[in-house]
Amino acid sequence: MSITIEHLNKQFGSYRALNDINLEVNSGELIALLGPSGCGKTSLLRIIGGLDVADSGSLLFHGEDVQQRDARERNVGFVFQHYALFRRMTVFENVAFGLRVKPKKERPSDAEIKRRVHELLSLVQLDYLADRYPAQLSGGQRQRIALARALAVEPKILLLDEPFGALDAQVRKELRRWLRRLHDELHITSIFVTHDQEEALEVADRVVVMNKGVIEQVGTPDEIYATPASPFVYQFIGNVNLFHSRDHASWTGQHGDAVAYTRPHDIDISHVQQDATALPVEVKLVRAIGSVVRVEVSTQNSSELIEIELSRERFELAPLANGDKVFIRPRQIRVFETGAQHELSAA
Amino acid sequence: MVQVQARIATHESKGVTLLLIGTALLYLLLFLGLPLFAVFYEAFRKGWELYWAALQEPDAWSAIKLTFIAAAIAVPANLVFGVAAAWVIAKFEFKGKSLLITLIDLPFAVSPVVSGLVYVLLFGAQGWFGEWLSAHDIKLIFAVPGIVLATIFVTFPFIARELIPLMQAQGKEEEEAAVSLGASGWQTFWRVTLPNIKWGLLYGVILCNARAMGEFGAVSVVSGHIRGMTNTLPLHVEILYNEYNFVAAFSVASLLALLALVTLLVKSLVEWQAKRSGEPLHHG
Amino acid sequence: MAQFKAHSVLPGFNLALGYTLLYLSLIVLVPLSALFFKTATLGWGGFWEVASSDRVLSALRVTFVTSCAAAVVNVVFGLIVAWVLVRYRFFGKRVVDALVDLPFALPTAVAGITLATLYAPNGWIGQYFAEYDIKIAYTPLGIVVALTFIGLPFVVRTVQPVLEDVEAEVEEAAASLGAGRWAVFRRVIFPALYPALLTGFALAFARAIGEYGSVIFIAGNMPYISEIAPLLIVAKLEQYDYAGATAIAVLMLLISFGFLLTINALQWWVSRRGVR
Repeated sequence: MSITIEHLNKQFGSYRALNDINLEVNSGELIALLGPSGCGKTSLLRIIGGLDVADSGSLLFHGEDVQQRDARERNVGFVFQHYALFRRMTVFENVAFGLRVKPKKERPSDAEIKRRVHELLSLVQLDYLADRYPAQLSGGQRQRIALARALAVEPKILLLDEPFGALDAQVRKELRRWLRRLHDELHITSIFVTHDQEEALEVADRVVVMNKGVIEQVGTPDEIYATPASPFVYQFIGNVNLFHSRDHASWTGQHGDAVAYTRPHDIDISHVQQDATALPVEVKLVRAIGSVVRVEVSTQNSSELIEIELSRERFELAPLANGDKVFIRPRQIRVFETGAQHELSAA
Repeated sequence: MVQVQARIATHESKGVTLLLIGTALLYLLLFLGLPLFAVFYEAFRKGWELYWAALQEPDAWSAIKLTFIAAAIAVPANLVFGVAAAWVIAKFEFKGKSLLITLIDLPFAVSPVVSGLVYVLLFGAQGWFGEWLSAHDIKLIFAVPGIVLATIFVTFPFIARELIPLMQAQGKEEEEAAVSLGASGWQTFWRVTLPNIKWGLLYGVILCNARAMGEFGAVSVVSGHIRGMTNTLPLHVEILYNEYNFVAAFSVASLLALLALVTLLVKSLVEWQAKRSGEPLHHG
Repeated sequence: MAQFKAHSVLPGFNLALGYTLLYLSLIVLVPLSALFFKTATLGWGGFWEVASSDRVLSALRVTFVTSCAAAVVNVVFGLIVAWVLVRYRFFGKRVVDALVDLPFALPTAVAGITLATLYAPNGWIGQYFAEYDIKIAYTPLGIVVALTFIGLPFVVRTVQPVLEDVEAEVEEAAASLGAGRWAVFRRVIFPALYPALLTGFALAFARAIGEYGSVIFIAGNMPYISEIAPLLIVAKLEQYDYAGATAIAVLMLLISFGFLLTINALQWWVSRRGVR
């Protein structure tokens, strides 16, 4: 089921949580809402799920306005950040809940409920935990039970609020691959909220980057990383070096106030000056981290540090040491003219 | 070496420890242990026969009945109120919430005597509705309804006070999850909320019941002390005591003391159960 | 206009709030307001006449002085009891802990007749004091005994959780810096307990002011000496002097309200000092 959001606004007191949000989610897509805390991503998710209402704007499921529809009639599966499992029910009863509360004429028989719940528990590979209580499960297990519970009512849309937020690093990685595989199997239109760029880029078909209640960019993970639409996206996703036009006019190529961004792996290092735009710098730190080598350099007359990443092979072809005088040149650079606002957010 | 010093410095010397324990136990013995023992001692002083005789008196029986009637009305009434108030306060954000919480606590700030007095002012012979009531031959004050009302008033906050912090701590995510899974309001309440608060609810009911059955001041003001009609157990104790019928007074009092002991026992069990199920109760 | 209530998907707000307000008004607010309307019928002159009569003034004095004394006793011994229950292990501790709540559970009339019997000149405890010509029952001292019983759990139960939360690390840190045990208590533990002690005092005091059932049996109820304000209210009621009874009730409410306000201000001041 597709979702269409047009001119959506939401205000909490004097705080603008969502500011003219427009978004189109295709049927069967897996979308990540990515942004720092307080950017409005959870508000947006809760409005789609019917747990909150927007002040204005429209929200359509498959072309049909659902704003007047209760959460319970939207056919949306919602997975809460802290799982919100029913603590006095067993895992089985948690998953069965959505089926048991259906009106009498739609409610499946007990045998049918039993079959469906065990099917779902097998799907999340936790059938053996059916008789446990939530308090007896690990974080990762709770997460999967919460998902099974949401899926039990066969939702047309699945919404997940920071699904891996409360888990430790190892479990997180496992679970997000598992979620991706599950989505490829089920093809339910899904939206998940995250503040972790790696998670968004790895799992989602498309990523929606939000900041301060505004959508900054919508695109595939590749697009978001390779061609960020704004300084915010540049800074929020991946590591980045930032150059002011007043110091690096040859790179920014503009006379007005501007800021240029370049990724650490988009900078060339050479022992000879490649051309007039190349910048003479001194190597301050060399550190090999796994498959990459991180080099920090600084210009002679300023203390600003520039971060460069080289592949190990490349580094081994032309090794560097602290104190080496070298030249750097960006292979790729994006320039943004700065209003006062960008200056602020960059500071 | 350092560790030994630290251990000494974070613990009192043996002598001080014993002195403190001794002081605390002596204090509790004088003020709690001895009175509790004395109730039963005085009750059985003249033997079992007199004890039983005192309890089998018709007036004692009607006092027992009235006490149970008052509690049987007051506790459920305040239970429904407590759940409704806690639901509103813990699950919703609205203006004036802290004022509402303060107002719910009001009966605790009022002397029991005043709690009775206010109903006399309303429904007494010279009260606001006094004339209208007597014209329609309805008697509230110096009658059972007044006793029930006064009991409701003094036990008013008990259950709400227990539930509000408990439900606030539990948040509303589980209820939201239930609604998003298609549950109706009642289904959400019965299947999700109620099981989550059952220990807190029981705890509040126990305390509420103990106070309802034991209330003296408020009930005394509205009762009129009509023997066999408007006497609750505590009032019956007073009458017997004032008549210098000490054995009978303490016999009836021993019933109330027993109720207190059962209350403490059940209360401890509930606390223990709640803690065991990972949901410790909030005390304030 | 700002919204009265934030949006929520949970149902039942109107029903539950409506019922809460209706029940609250019928049971508590309307009856209590009768208190003030009734007092208003007296007018200022009448109110002042009741308030300034010698008997009322001495009843109020007895009530507040004995309540204060009982609350002070409870602060001192309540702190010791809480300390012992939290810090030490001894046989029967759980029973003792449960028993602390007895005054909450024991009907006040039962407490009253029992304490009167125990502390009477020929009672188990009273006889020892009688030897030294000290009368407890039927004097203001007896009132203090009854009010101490009634207020006993408050200080213990407010201090206990706070004392449990005092981190051992802080004490160890202070000790490792060379502080002796007494200095650690005075400078580290006591300041942490101070607000809880004040709260416990306020609760015990507030409860004592209104107390009736346990006091009347042991007080002797001699006008001007051991007659408490709640008893005077009952006495006026029995003479059908509704307005007089109400005036005393209002007076009591005003004084205890002012007192609790002072305690709150003190509390606020203490906690602010703690932050600085």
